[in-house]
Amino acid sequence: MVDRTTFRLMLLILGVVFAFLYIPISVLVGLSFNEGGLPTAWTGFSVKWYAALLANDDILHAAGNTLVVALFSTVLATVLGTLLAIGVEIRRRNGKWLETVIFAPMIIPDIVLAIALLSFFSLLGVKMGLHTIIVSHVVFNLAFVCAVVRARLKSFDWSIVEASTDLGAPVLTTLRRVVVPVLMPAIIAGALLAFTLSVDEFIIAFFTAGAGRSSITLPMQIYAMIRFGVTPEINALATIVMSVSVCALALSQRLNKGGLPGQ
Amino acid sequence: MSDAFLSIRNISKNFGSVRAVSDVSLDIRENEFFALLGASGSGKTTLLRMLAGFETLSAGDVVLQGGSIADLPPNKRPVNLMFQSYALFPHMTVAQNISYGLEMDRLPRSEISARVSEILDVIQLSELARRKPDQLSGGQRQRVALARALVKRPKVLLLDEPLGALDKKLRSEMQLELKRLQSEFGITFIVVTHDQEEALVMADRIAIMKDGALLQVGTPHDIYERPESRFAADFIGVMNFVPVTQTAQGLETSDGGRISAATTLRLADQIAGVAAVRPERLHIGDVGENRVEGNVLAIAYHGLDLQLHVKTPIADTPIVARITANVADSLTPKIGDRVTLSWSAKDTHIFPA
Repeated sequence: MVDRTTFRLMLLILGVVFAFLYIPISVLVGLSFNEGGLPTAWTGFSVKWYAALLANDDILHAAGNTLVVALFSTVLATVLGTLLAIGVEIRRRNGKWLETVIFAPMIIPDIVLAIALLSFFSLLGVKMGLHTIIVSHVVFNLAFVCAVVRARLKSFDWSIVEASTDLGAPVLTTLRRVVVPVLMPAIIAGALLAFTLSVDEFIIAFFTAGAGRSSITLPMQIYAMIRFGVTPEINALATIVMSVSVCALALSQRLNKGGLPGQ
Repeated sequence: MSDAFLSIRNISKNFGSVRAVSDVSLDIRENEFFALLGASGSGKTTLLRMLAGFETLSAGDVVLQGGSIADLPPNKRPVNLMFQSYALFPHMTVAQNISYGLEMDRLPRSEISARVSEILDVIQLSELARRKPDQLSGGQRQRVALARALVKRPKVLLLDEPLGALDKKLRSEMQLELKRLQSEFGITFIVVTHDQEEALVMADRIAIMKDGALLQVGTPHDIYERPESRFAADFIGVMNFVPVTQTAQGLETSDGGRISAATTLRLADQIAGVAAVRPERLHIGDVGENRVEGNVLAIAYHGLDLQLHVKTPIADTPIVARITANVADSLTPKIGDRVTLSWSAKDTHIFPA
């Protein structure tokens, strides 16, 4: 057993770790509501920086782009990732190497993936734009959706697939009426995770974006603005992006109890 | 062969180098309640899954009402399977589970709902039609699984260990219930079970399987009273075995005694074999052609009857005798008592060792 002093020491360490993790974020959220806008002095509560965001055309445009990228890449990755997960579970015999190949995009450093995708697109002579960001986001999101759905499939009772067939259903009917509905919580969880990852992804989007304003996403816009110093507007924007991500992630975890990638 | 409704012809199934089902031929009659009985690994479930279409045939053919169904996929066969795990759809209600198969047949809505409510009535679950499977007890789930397969009115209903997951009391109720439903719907049932008592109670005919092959096919009475092999004798019910050798004088036990038997099965000269007799055919006292003395080792009280375990010189394992309650009342046997067991020649079975 741990004695009292050691226990208190451990609690203290835990507190320090949490402080280290969350103080910067709290400061950011706090400053986004600071009337004066300076990080040095609190001059009162205000939502004016959020209002300023709404008036900033560049930011709204970038937010629109991000939404388009996140929605399209999520839908594509969810459909493909789910089918991939089901296919892999049915044909388990191929063993470990197939798993490694599928999960590689989750593990490969983003910068490597970004350079690889850039080279790939230029090799094919594809014109860059939002569509190339979407395709690139599908690449890594697919692996995440697949991992979440496969975790659910581990406890899937395959006899209901046979039962559906036995009762006269063709393969696609079984998929639509039995497999997908039973997996739906995991599919939605995977989609939310993919959406979150896509919304704040910077490196890959930066490398595979086209020239000009038409394919600037929100993280890229923030990066561009931050070169002129951290403005209260950026704090407000970061707070919004963070809230969206946290909500989506929390919902995803809630829907899919147990079974995050890698577990 | 003319009365064969479902004809299984020389079918085999190999999984790699393992032969799960080995050259099985069976003719099953219309409206028959047929049981495939065997221990786990005997190939009975593989055979059932071959009939359902989930396993391809390595050899042979399956003919239903004169037409081969061997090449039909499971969803095109006029045959339904009730799964051992029930395999109910967890996201659908009881009613939705049952109507699923009828929707696949593209029946009109009105007929589907009529047939669903009819079968819900039969299995007495009308009040639970809107429940999900995880809100049902094991027995209720079992009945939903049965209804879901039965409502399609298949030509043959295959049941994989249908009562395996139920407790003992519910199981004996459902044995009779299954029999009632089978005769009411007039559907041919093929049941896979490892429970010999279940097979004896429910089936019109039983096939005993061992190592992928059929050992014996017959009515419950045939199988119980006239086992054709030592395995069948041992597998069904309780049987006492006594090692014997065939000599010119007859069957000789290890202590030099004789056993008389009135069976057609004969052993070759000087060949070791076993004589066998059922516990309920043994009597206390000298009333049969065969007689042996021994000491009572243990007494097991079963309510309806007593089972005496008697150590005798003719067998290594104690001989079990079943004595009905009223006989036991007058004899009051005790542990350590010396008793004479006897049985008649017609109750002796003979098998090669």
